[in-house]
Amino acid sequence: MIFYIGRRILGLLIVLIGVTILSFIFSSISPVDPAQAYVMKNIPNPTQEQIEAVREELGLNLPIYEQYYNWLINCLKGDFGKSLTTRNYVIEDIFKKLPATLSIVGMAMLWIVLITFPVALICAVKKDSALDHAVRIVSIIGVSIPSFWLGFLLLLAFAVFIPIFVVVDFGSLRSLILPSLTIAVPVICSLTRMLRSTILSNLNKDYVVYAKARGLSNSTIMSKYVLRNSLPPVITALCQSFGYMIAGSAIVENVFSWPGLGNHLIHAIFGRDLPTINGAVLILAVIFVICNLLADLVNNLINPRISI
Amino acid sequence: MKNVLEIKDLSLWVKKTGIQILKNISFGIERGEVVGIIGESGSGKSMTCMAILQLLNKRIFNINGNVIFNNSDLMKMGKEKLKIIGKDISLVMQNPMTAFNPTLRIGTQITETIRVHNKMSGKQAYEMGIEALEKVHLNRTKELMHSYPHMLSGGMLQRIMLAITLMLEPKIVIADEATTALDVNTQAMVLEHFCQMKKNNISLIVVTHDFGVIAKLADYVIVMKDGEIVEQANVFDIFDRPNHEYTKQLLDARILTGGR
Repeated sequence: MIFYIGRRILGLLIVLIGVTILSFIFSSISPVDPAQAYVMKNIPNPTQEQIEAVREELGLNLPIYEQYYNWLINCLKGDFGKSLTTRNYVIEDIFKKLPATLSIVGMAMLWIVLITFPVALICAVKKDSALDHAVRIVSIIGVSIPSFWLGFLLLLAFAVFIPIFVVVDFGSLRSLILPSLTIAVPVICSLTRMLRSTILSNLNKDYVVYAKARGLSNSTIMSKYVLRNSLPPVITALCQSFGYMIAGSAIVENVFSWPGLGNHLIHAIFGRDLPTINGAVLILAVIFVICNLLADLVNNLINPRISI
Repeated sequence: MKNVLEIKDLSLWVKKTGIQILKNISFGIERGEVVGIIGESGSGKSMTCMAILQLLNKRIFNINGNVIFNNSDLMKMGKEKLKIIGKDISLVMQNPMTAFNPTLRIGTQITETIRVHNKMSGKQAYEMGIEALEKVHLNRTKELMHSYPHMLSGGMLQRIMLAITLMLEPKIVIADEATTALDVNTQAMVLEHFCQMKKNNISLIVVTHDFGVIAKLADYVIVMKDGEIVEQANVFDIFDRPNHEYTKQLLDARILTGGR
């Protein structure tokens, strides 16, 4: 077990190095010159000399592998550099923005767990009932609808026409509801379909028949036999979607003017703020990889057959 | 003697397609008697067992008829049938490798079964489970209780299933191809346990396509084909004077496979 975790963490490091290299390469092949963007922000009409001076100061004149090497060494020392736009330390900015994102994603996770499990269970038990068909249609719509569009619709419906919520709001629990629902809906819809089908396939397993033949109660069979065996794929998907939701929160945060990490990253990309982009990508990758590791560990606890 | 279990006019259809799976199955079983049900695959043997145990999904199947145990009809019972199924009528399945929940330890599955039917503490149930495992000649019982199903062999799991059945002290045991998937040694051992049950006045319904098992155990034989009982008679009559063409075919096939 400890050996396994060690091996996974080693794998995690390799993934992180890969992700940061890609993020470096993509930033460098983009046509906008970061030095120019930086200077233009401060001086309206900069001369070529001024731009070159800044380029040298920021180390952007070095070959890309040298830039990466310097950045990596600094990262290992805990220094992600300073943001080119806010001039704060990148890491400080990120940790200031991260809680806002974590709070909507956390709330979204709550929605997902609270809605997915009971709905999937009812749909599986009452297969082919009117409710099951209705849920099927709603899920297909929910999965297909783009999240920014859903966000606008929710705002329009519940902040404009029926003003239960405020369009631009941040801080209160109430302000969390619409954005968290917006990111939760697609995940709820796909997970419900998935859980329903795994429950259905488990309902016909031999061990369920034998459990019934032993006289166990329906609730025991549903929870300890059917649901427990249906969990592994759903837990994997749930943990992965946690990572996706944090990484993908940018669009929803933009719609709801939510001052989170996603919004911060978008601004950094528009401002060619390389240290912030690379730092944020690294943090997102770390979260993503940890979620995956967590999913595997939980699954192993539930199902001893998934040997690690 | 009075029958402990009486099956009357049991019929079964698939709702969606209307296909009839069982046609007017009727038979009775006395205390300590062994009824063997024989027939080819798909003849409805297993479905008969499932129907008796009320294990069929009523949303998929239409079921008609009566299953009378202790003067009450299981078909008409609600939740209270759970007190009979598992306790008085116990099932031994044919596929031990898949019959246990892969995510729960064997010990948990044994003790939860005891505790559904008897009021006792977890510790008492655990002791009882250990005792039951020893009865079917399993060794290192504490280790077994702590194992997950995938760590054990089919033969061991089949014996654990037998242990669960014995532990509940049922009146009737339904063995659905319980020896089919086993190696010869374990098969012999399982059959020995069935003989022991018979001696202890437990009634047995043994489903099989193996005349060897019938010859060793059964008092009374039911021959099924296409969801119908084509012949039912005393075991000696079946072997010596089979009436139905199908029974003769089955007996001839047995000779082809070496008399077993």
